[in-house]
Amino acid sequence: MAKRKQPEPKPAPPSTAKVGVYVCHCGGNIGDAVDVKQVCEQARRAPGVVVAREHMFMCSDPGQEMIIEDLKSGLVDQVVVASCSPSLHETTFRSVMVRAGANPYLYEHANLREQVSWVHHGPEATGKAARLVAAAAAKAGQLTPLEPLKVEVQPRALVIGGGTAGLKCALDLAARGQAVVLVEKSPFLGGQAGQLSRLAPGGETAAEVISELAGAVLAHPAVTVYTCSQVTGFEGYIGNFKLKVTRMPPEGPEDDERLAAVGRSGRGLGEYAPFAGVMPTAIPERPEEIDLQAGVIVLATGMRPYRPRRGEYGYQDFPEVVTLPEFNRLLAEASAAGDTLELQGRPIRSLALVHCVGSRQIPGIHEENEGGYLNEYCSRTCCAAALFAANLVREQYPKTRVFDFYRDIRTYGRGQEELYTRAAKKQAVFFRFEAGEEPEVLKNSDLKGPPLLVKVKDILTFGEELSVPADLVVLAVGQEPNNIADLVAKMKVPVGADRFLQEVHPKLRPVETAVAGIFLAGTCQAPLDVGETCAAAGAAAVKAAAILSRGYVELDPFVVEVDLSRCTGTGACVEACLADGALSLVEMEAAGQKVRRARVNPVLCMGCGACVAVCPENAINVQGWTLRQFEAMVEMIVSDEYIG
Amino acid sequence: MALVNPDFAEELQAYGVDTALECFNCGTCAAICPLLFEHFPRKMIRYVQVGAKQKILEQANDLWRCLHCGLCTRTCPRQAGPGELILGLRRYVVAQARRA
Repeated sequence: MAKRKQPEPKPAPPSTAKVGVYVCHCGGNIGDAVDVKQVCEQARRAPGVVVAREHMFMCSDPGQEMIIEDLKSGLVDQVVVASCSPSLHETTFRSVMVRAGANPYLYEHANLREQVSWVHHGPEATGKAARLVAAAAAKAGQLTPLEPLKVEVQPRALVIGGGTAGLKCALDLAARGQAVVLVEKSPFLGGQAGQLSRLAPGGETAAEVISELAGAVLAHPAVTVYTCSQVTGFEGYIGNFKLKVTRMPPEGPEDDERLAAVGRSGRGLGEYAPFAGVMPTAIPERPEEIDLQAGVIVLATGMRPYRPRRGEYGYQDFPEVVTLPEFNRLLAEASAAGDTLELQGRPIRSLALVHCVGSRQIPGIHEENEGGYLNEYCSRTCCAAALFAANLVREQYPKTRVFDFYRDIRTYGRGQEELYTRAAKKQAVFFRFEAGEEPEVLKNSDLKGPPLLVKVKDILTFGEELSVPADLVVLAVGQEPNNIADLVAKMKVPVGADRFLQEVHPKLRPVETAVAGIFLAGTCQAPLDVGETCAAAGAAAVKAAAILSRGYVELDPFVVEVDLSRCTGTGACVEACLADGALSLVEMEAAGQKVRRARVNPVLCMGCGACVAVCPENAINVQGWTLRQFEAMVEMIVSDEYIG
Repeated sequence: MALVNPDFAEELQAYGVDTALECFNCGTCAAICPLLFEHFPRKMIRYVQVGAKQKILEQANDLWRCLHCGLCTRTCPRQAGPGELILGLRRYVVAQARRA
């Protein structure tokens, strides 16, 4: 559990403070608008300031060395750097403190760039800069050394979802020597990929990919797999998540379909069954609850293919309209040889493919889906999957013609453009439509011809209206995130406008969520293909393993602390607290009497300060941001004593 | 509403037009063609792709505007040989005229 060194109770009085102020020109970014020399001069007059220096680039090595020297020589104890925004360089200068052997929390940052030079000019700019620096120096004089919170980590990872991402992530974690619990809702491992036949663009079979992954996971002694299981209870924080997993017999048509597929295939437990996946164990007969603790959680809850509305491109109105995943199943049942593809005894001489079904929907142009949302994103994987299917058909059944209707061809990745070129070489005919002028699927009035007619206003033919008779229309459907509203509500992980789970930063922190210790892997985050999913899962495994193998995590100590000499146990703080469990009232002895006093769980505290605002006794304060420190800052901002 | 005729591209193979479906309609040929004439030569190639036989016969005169400079063939990113396709279409049109 959480351990913390108590800081010195009494802040050093301002008179004994030795504050060093370091003002940065930021090239000309600050220096062009702010008179840095004057800021330094005024800073020297502020109480507690023993030295004020300037530098062209304080973040450069010489700038940092200057600060380190002053700290090491004992000239200064507290440091103020006045430069860019703290989000850019606060950590840089805190680590300067550490390198000088000082406490990193005896540091205060003043923002003279975003808050001054970029928005003000002339004498006012210099005046504001001087006040901000004086305020920061006043706060610095009040700072006390703090220690980061240290939280022990339960040596176990929980991976939620047994598809490609979950399997790969569990395997990579186990390979790093970490214990893993893998929880999968359905009776199967393999997820959506396990229900495909061949994978674009390379053509590997789902059977080999999923057999290898699931086989290795099931054989690994460090991985415990629970199928037919869901996470039904969640509490705790990074390093100490407490979870309840409920195992119960599956229900729902999707699982029934896959169970039937296993029956037909004649495969046993632990073996890959086409269009189902790998069923590792028998289905539980009665519900069962499992309690477990985990240090980290990886969400690999995956996606589902978009299901077209009734009537969308004739889906469900005509039996000859199918989705691409449905088509792949039909294709697997068809005879592998022959000039013309035959599906369920019906020759398919003309096959139409439609791209972007359920993707790239535009408000005001496209109809909202059930639930009132639009999928405005590109699903990325369907172009390659559609072209892969087109090539497969053209190569195996040369008398089956393929007509491809696209809005844009987005063959973005390695091996994908080749699929597009190959489709043209194999004589597929392409048509292009505008958004909002999607092709129409109609009944063919020529009763001797194929049953359907696909009508399109074709951009490639100068906007002329063309129609193509079709025996089968295949809809290249996109990806939608699985509905995990219950998990989202429990874990409070952020969800994007596209309903996929959202990372902290798309480039710099692509597999972390805003909830510390919870990571993302695979298509719960965005539409991805199997290769991309494995890459993402590997990244999540590394991030998770880094926490587990270290054994503890360090958190910033900016959390509240109760001053028991002032607390009277009003409970106002507990009521105002926004983080469940961070504050509570506990019984304790004070002067021989039993009293109730506030107690903080520092690991759960977010440092928001809601409690500080409501405490009538001023008995609670955020460390590093105490009311006394704020008062010192305000005094300097309004004072005309030192700043002219 | 014109019906697409996929057999037409096959019919043209006898006249040496066999790469029309490799064109992905980028329009580079039309951009570089010194004639700067409508969408020539992409227009003709597109008509081959969708089997618009009648359109080609109606606009057959345009085929004889081509200067054989070869710029389109040299710049085609798909090596679909637009210049050669125009020559093949001329052979087809002539054969149609003779038959008529």
